Amino acid sequence: MPINISNAKRRDAVVALEGLVPRRAIQYLDPHGRPVRTRRLLKTDVTHDLPTLMKKRKSPAALATALIKEDPEIDIEEFGMFLADTSRVYVSKKGIVHLVEEQELLYNPDGTLRDKRPRKKEPQNINTDIPLKWTGKFIKKKEAVQKFIFTNKKQLVHVNGLTFDFLFDMAKALQKKDSLLLIRGGEKGDEPVIMNRGGKAYNAFLEGRVKGESYCLILHLSNMELKRPKEVEADAEE
Amino acid sequence: MPRPFVLSLDGREFEIRIVKIDREKLYGRVEIEAFDEKKNPAQLLVLAPDGKTLIDKGGTALATVDENGESISRADLVAVDEDGQKIETVPSSFTQVNVLKRAKIEDYLSQLVKSVYVIEAVDRADAKYLQDHLAAGLIYNFDFSYRGGIEYDSAFVIGNRSDAFMIVGRPAELEFVKLNQSVDLDTTEEEEVAPEEISFENLT
Repeated sequence: MPINISNAKRRDAVVALEGLVPRRAIQYLDPHGRPVRTRRLLKTDVTHDLPTLMKKRKSPAALATALIKEDPEIDIEEFGMFLADTSRVYVSKKGIVHLVEEQELLYNPDGTLRDKRPRKKEPQNINTDIPLKWTGKFIKKKEAVQKFIFTNKKQLVHVNGLTFDFLFDMAKALQKKDSLLLIRGGEKGDEPVIMNRGGKAYNAFLEGRVKGESYCLILHLSNMELKRPKEVEADAEE
Repeated sequence: MPRPFVLSLDGREFEIRIVKIDREKLYGRVEIEAFDEKKNPAQLLVLAPDGKTLIDKGGTALATVDENGESISRADLVAVDEDGQKIETVPSSFTQVNVLKRAKIEDYLSQLVKSVYVIEAVDRADAKYLQDHLAAGLIYNFDFSYRGGIEYDSAFVIGNRSDAFMIVGRPAELEFVKLNQSVDLDTTEEEEVAPEEISFENLT
């Protein structure tokens, strides 16, 4: 996906933001030594789940008898079909609905309700007319790893000859400082990074590494500090 | 109470327990309630490609299939390495002494995080040696498997003055991208930022 990012000179460029996959040296074979793959399949649908089945019977005992004798919970034609290109939809008692009003319920760590508000879906801010800001705010790597959990990460990659230099310079500067750079979004450059509309907001940090004439620029995304939750503190005291 | 396991550093052994933590335990959670135009509650479901089958949570499953799409039991699968050699299973970390090795910050930063745990020492006095090393900013890692299985995850042990944490994940496939020239970058105004200045509570 494209990312519009500025450098220390406030020059900006659109480059590629690549997802990272775990290094994996293992694969699975069937008993004949042939490769296998994983597919998602249909196990059951809403017309065969418990509330629907109960509507058609007078009592749980009647349903239990039906489950044994008739297998009403199984659709032998449909169940087991491979699923691909599924979509998520809202369904009310009227059927699929396209216009919904969403409310956000915010709960504290102890489970108590903190706030209720209309859901606001913030737009993504990684590829807009306003580039992500090189804030000039650095955190030593040693300090950062003791403070934050980097729950997600992406790699920045050049898309042409010009952006080679652009990104290499960033990586080189960051490696030299042995620090992570705080990256911000929005017009004022004070907003967390949002990858897609309504998606999670992250504090983003850029790390640069250089090896010879190659570079590696990693965008570390964090929505969590490295600290002990109060709940665990209480458990430990008991 | 979670069962204990043993870490070893410089020949000293520490019995610890681990407690999983996540964002929800630190900052709480957000739930979404939805209503249609007539204020009837609406539920988010999965719509199958046929355009009519609606699937609730737990309505799908993952299956391993062969080239012909025939399902294969996981028990019949053979795990092999890059050279096609059969891989032996690894034991659970709870059944052995896990030796800590010094790790580089870059190795830790290359990790894709799967889970985070708080480390609780069974005997705090015993674990002071480890805590002192972590408070000094040292990072350790070891091969970790919760239940045993085909391969280890990578576990990094990190700490601050008061607490120790174990961060489990897998190394990412990072790529050093080549280029054919380099230019020095002019420095601009810079400032150090204190981690306390960065808000995490409002990332909802």
